[in-house]
Amino acid sequence: MSGRRIEPQPGETIDRGCTVRFRFDGRQLEGYAGDTIASALTAAGVQVLSRSFKYHRPRGLLCGAGHCPNCLVQVGDEPNVRACRRPIEEGMEVAPQNVWPSLQYDAMALTELVSRFLPVGFYYKTFIRPAAMWPLYEHVLRNAAGLGAIDETTTVGGDFDKEYLHADVAVIGGGPAGLSAAVAAVEQGARVLLLDENKTLGGHLRFSGDGDDGRTRVGAWRESLGKGGATVLTQTAVIGHYQNHWLSAVRGNRLYKIRAAGVVVATGAFEIPMVFDGNDRPGVLLGTAVQRLIRLHGVAPGRRAVVVTASDAGWDVATDLVQAGVEVAAIADERPGQHADQRIDTTETQVLHGHTIGAAHGRSAVRAAVLVPVDGDGPWHTVDCDLIAVSTGWNPSLELAYLAGARSRYDEDLGEMRLQAVPDGLFLAGRVAGPGGLEDDVRQGDDAGHAAAEWARGGSKETGTTAAGQRTPAAPTGGRSSALVAAPPTGHDKRFVCYCEDVTDVDINTALLEGYDRIELLKRYSTLGMGPCQGRMCGLQGIRHCARDTDTSVADTGRTTARPPVTPVSLGALAGQRMEPVYLSALHDWHVQQGASMMIAGPWLRPEHYGDPVAEVGAVRQTVGLIDVSPLGKLQLTGPGVATMLERLYVNQWQDLRRGRVRYGMMCNDEGIVLDDGVCARLSEEEWYVSTTSTGAAGALEWMEWWRQSGWGEGVHITDMTETFAAFNLAGPRSREVLQQLTERDLSKAKFPYMRARRAEVAGVPCLLLRIGFTGELSYEIHCPAGFGRYLWETLVEAGGSFGLRPFGVEAQRVLRLEKAHLIVGQDTDALSDPIAADAAWAVRLDKGDFLGKRALTRVSSEGPRQRLVGFRTGRRVDALREGLQIVDAERRIIGWISSCRHSPTLDETLGLCWLPADMAAREQSTFTVFVAGRLEAAQVHHGPFYDPEGARLRS
Amino acid sequence: MLRIDCPNCGARNAAEFRYAGEYNPRPTQADDDEWIRYLYLRRNRMGVQVEWWYHRSGCGTWFLVERDRRSNEISRIMRWQPGVAETGSLSA
Repeated sequence: MSGRRIEPQPGETIDRGCTVRFRFDGRQLEGYAGDTIASALTAAGVQVLSRSFKYHRPRGLLCGAGHCPNCLVQVGDEPNVRACRRPIEEGMEVAPQNVWPSLQYDAMALTELVSRFLPVGFYYKTFIRPAAMWPLYEHVLRNAAGLGAIDETTTVGGDFDKEYLHADVAVIGGGPAGLSAAVAAVEQGARVLLLDENKTLGGHLRFSGDGDDGRTRVGAWRESLGKGGATVLTQTAVIGHYQNHWLSAVRGNRLYKIRAAGVVVATGAFEIPMVFDGNDRPGVLLGTAVQRLIRLHGVAPGRRAVVVTASDAGWDVATDLVQAGVEVAAIADERPGQHADQRIDTTETQVLHGHTIGAAHGRSAVRAAVLVPVDGDGPWHTVDCDLIAVSTGWNPSLELAYLAGARSRYDEDLGEMRLQAVPDGLFLAGRVAGPGGLEDDVRQGDDAGHAAAEWARGGSKETGTTAAGQRTPAAPTGGRSSALVAAPPTGHDKRFVCYCEDVTDVDINTALLEGYDRIELLKRYSTLGMGPCQGRMCGLQGIRHCARDTDTSVADTGRTTARPPVTPVSLGALAGQRMEPVYLSALHDWHVQQGASMMIAGPWLRPEHYGDPVAEVGAVRQTVGLIDVSPLGKLQLTGPGVATMLERLYVNQWQDLRRGRVRYGMMCNDEGIVLDDGVCARLSEEEWYVSTTSTGAAGALEWMEWWRQSGWGEGVHITDMTETFAAFNLAGPRSREVLQQLTERDLSKAKFPYMRARRAEVAGVPCLLLRIGFTGELSYEIHCPAGFGRYLWETLVEAGGSFGLRPFGVEAQRVLRLEKAHLIVGQDTDALSDPIAADAAWAVRLDKGDFLGKRALTRVSSEGPRQRLVGFRTGRRVDALREGLQIVDAERRIIGWISSCRHSPTLDETLGLCWLPADMAAREQSTFTVFVAGRLEAAQVHHGPFYDPEGARLRS
Repeated sequence: MLRIDCPNCGARNAAEFRYAGEYNPRPTQADDDEWIRYLYLRRNRMGVQVEWWYHRSGCGTWFLVERDRRSNEISRIMRWQPGVAETGSLSA
C-alpha cells in the first residue's frame, strides 16, 4: 500500500495549515493537526503498525474505529494506545508493540513456523508438568505474553481523577439517532447528557452518505443542544451500565460516574471483518476505515483497490475510492445477479457477482486478492492490488444494552443480532436497533428522546417499553450482512477469527472437537474474544463457526455474556486519585511538629511514638506521661431506657451502677463472641457516657443503633461524640499533681477515687474526667470539646514540664497495658473468642436477664472453654518471639499462638499474651514451646498482671 | 449502582449504605433447634426477601427493604416496627 494525502475533502477534520512532527519506530514523520496516529502513518505510507499477540504477524490498520487490536501502539510510556483514535501531537514518540528486536525482523514471528505444534490450548496442556519447571516456564511465558511495555518506575499516563454527573436523560452515541434523541429530550425540558466516543459529533454522517446535507443537519442539532443547555461530552467512551441507570465513562484520564433517570442507547453498529486466508495482512481494511481515512483525513489508503461486499455498502466505498483517485480494480459482490451501480464505471472496474474473497496475498503488505465464487463453482480471479476494502458485515453495538439487561436473538434474515426486550427506562434508537435509513434513525431518535424525557418525569412503564427498539426492518438490500460463515478456503494462509488472540478457524474447530462445544466454553478454552476488542471483531464470527460445526442454529448457539468494561480502560482511570479519607485528631499538627512517627489505626492517624517508646514507658511508670486517645469511640446515651438497653447489649451489669461511677464493659454477639469493649460512666440517672475501642468505634455504634432501632431502644437516644470530643490520658504517679495545678476540683483519692467520673473545669475548659487507666498507673482520662483540645493539651504539657512529663504514643501504651496483661479486642481476640476464654469471665453476669450472648456464654461457662487467653513470660530478653508465632507441642503440632508480645522495659523480660489449650493455660508456670523459624523457644504460663498484680498503683 | 430510598434521606446510591443481610429477628423463646436456625442458618431466598440496610454514610437509620434478589427490584422500604415478622415480604 502506498498511502498518500489527497485533495482537501469537504468534511475533513485536519488542518492542512498546521504541520505536526512526530516519530514512529525511530523515524521522523509529519502529519497535520487533526490527524490520528493511524491517518498520519497511512499518509506517510507506513503500513505495519504492530505485530500480533501469538504469531507476531505484521498487522496494520483494520477497523479504523477504535475496536480491533491491530493498531495498538506504544506512545511514550503509555502502552496499548489505539493509533486510529489518538490524535498526533508535536514531538510524540510512537513505537510499535510486540516486536523484538524490530518491527521488520521479529524473532517471535518464528512461532508461526512451528504453529502446527502450537494448537489451541497448547499452553494449558504443555506447561503444567513437571511442576518444578513452572518458575522457568513462567519466566519465558511472562516475557512472551502481554501487550506493550510499562515503565514500572513512573506513573503511566499522568494523573487521574473522577467526576460525578447527573442527568434526566443520558444519550449514548452522537450520530443522527442520538443527536435527534438528545434534541427531543432537551425540547421536553430534560437535563440531557450526550456522550460520544469520537472527536466530533455526527456518527457515520461524518464520513458516509451525502456529506453536505449531513453536516448541515448535525450543525442544526448541535445548535439546539447548545440552546437547550445540554451537556455534550465527546471523546468519551461509556464503559459500563449498572443498576438503576448508573453509567461509567472514560474521557482521557477522567472516569465519569453518571446517574441518569432514562438512557437512550444510540450506539449504532460496527463493521466486522470477514474470515478468509490472510485476512490480517496489512492493506486489508474494513470499508468504513477506508471511508474515514478519505473523508475525515484526506488520505487515500492505497493506489489500486479491490472491494469485497455483500450489500450496497461496498459500492459506496468503491465510489469514495474512485473519487479519491484510487483505481478500483475489482468489486466482488456476494449477491448473485446484477447490482451494478451507476457511479462505478464497469469498463474500468471488474465486477464479479456471486463472488467473495478467498485470500489476500502478501506478507507485510497486500499484493493481490484472490476472488472466488461463493458456491465454489468456477474459476478464481487473482487481482493485483495494494488495498482490499472489506464491507461484508455489520453488528449492532448492543453491549451497553446487554449490560442494562436487554435480550437479543440472532436474526437469520438480517444476519445480525436483534433486540428482543429492553429494561425499563432504557430506549434504543438508530442502527443499534436494526438496519434502516437515515430518516428512520432520525424519527426513531426523536421518539426515544421524547419517551426518555417522559420516563424521567415519572412516565408509565408502558411508555418505556413500547418506544424502545421497536423498529420495522428496512429492506434487506440496505444492510444485510454476509451470509457466509467464512469464505471458501484457498489453502494459502491462516484465517483469523480473533485478531486479538490470534485464534484461527482451525483453532475453533479443534476446540469444538475436543468437546468445548458451548459458546461460553469455546471462548474460555480458545481465548476467542478475550482480547482488547472484547469480541467486537470476532464475537459473531465465533458464534457462526460454533453453530455450523455443532449443527446448531446461530440463534440457539446464543452469545457470550457481556461484561464491563465495554472498551479497554486503563487501570489508572479506574483507580483514580488516592481519595482515602483519614481522621485527624485535634492534636495532629502538634504531634507532627513534635516529630511523632504516625501510624494508621483504623480510620485514624495516630502517633506510634515520639522517637523513643522505651523512654515513654519509663516516664509513665516513674513520673507522668500524656497520650492522645481522641480516636476512642465516644457516645452519649441519654434517656430513661439506657440502663435497660446496656444490660441487653453488654455482658456486664449496669442497673446497679451509681451516679459518678465508671465500669468496664464488654459487648458480645449472640454467638458469645467479643465485639468490643470500653467503659461506661453514669453521669446522672439518665445520662451515660460510653467509650468504645478506637478502631471499632464505627462498628460499635452501628451495632448499638441496630438494636436501638429494632425494639430495644425505648427511651434511649444515642449521640456520637467521637469527633466532637478530644480525649487524653494523663498517666503516671505524678499525674494527680500535674492536673491539680489546673483545676479547682479536689483530685484527692478520697474525693475522686479509682473508677469514678467527675465533671471539672481544667484550665478553664469544661471537661469530663474519668479515673481509669489502661496503663496500670494512677491516671485521668480527660475528655473535652475538640476545639479546646490543642490548648488543653499544650497547657497540660507545660504544667507537667517540671515533673518530667513526656507525651507517649500507641507503642508505649501497648507495652504498658501488656505489663498489666490487659487484652485488646481485635488484637488478642478474634472471631472465635468469647469473654470466658479471653480471661474476662469476671465481667460476665450470667445471673442477670437476657443479653446478647447469654445463651452461648451459659453453655461455655458450664462446659468450659477449649482454648484460653493467658499471659506468658520468659525471664529474659527473647527478641525472636513475635506476635503471630505458633505454639507447638512435643510433636510440633500447633496447639496455640501468640497474640501479643513485647519486651517489657520495666521488668526487663519478654512477655505477652497467648492462646493455649485450657488445661495448659490453667497451670501456672507450665512451660510451652514456640516455633520460631525452625527453632523452639520456651516460655512459661503466667496468671494475672505482670506488673503491680495487686493494682495498688492505679488505685493510689 | 442500586439506588435505595432511605426512609429519612430519600434516594441515595447503595454505596452510602451497609447491607446487613436478611431480616432474622431474634427469638424471645426458642428451643435449641430454633436458636441454631437463628444463629447460623439463613434462608437465602431466590426471589423476594426482607433485609436490613443501614445508612452508614448518612443519617444512621436502620431500615428494612423488601427486594427481589433476581432483579434487584425493591418493592417496599420501611423502618422496623413491632410485629414485623419474617415472612419474605413486608406487610403493612
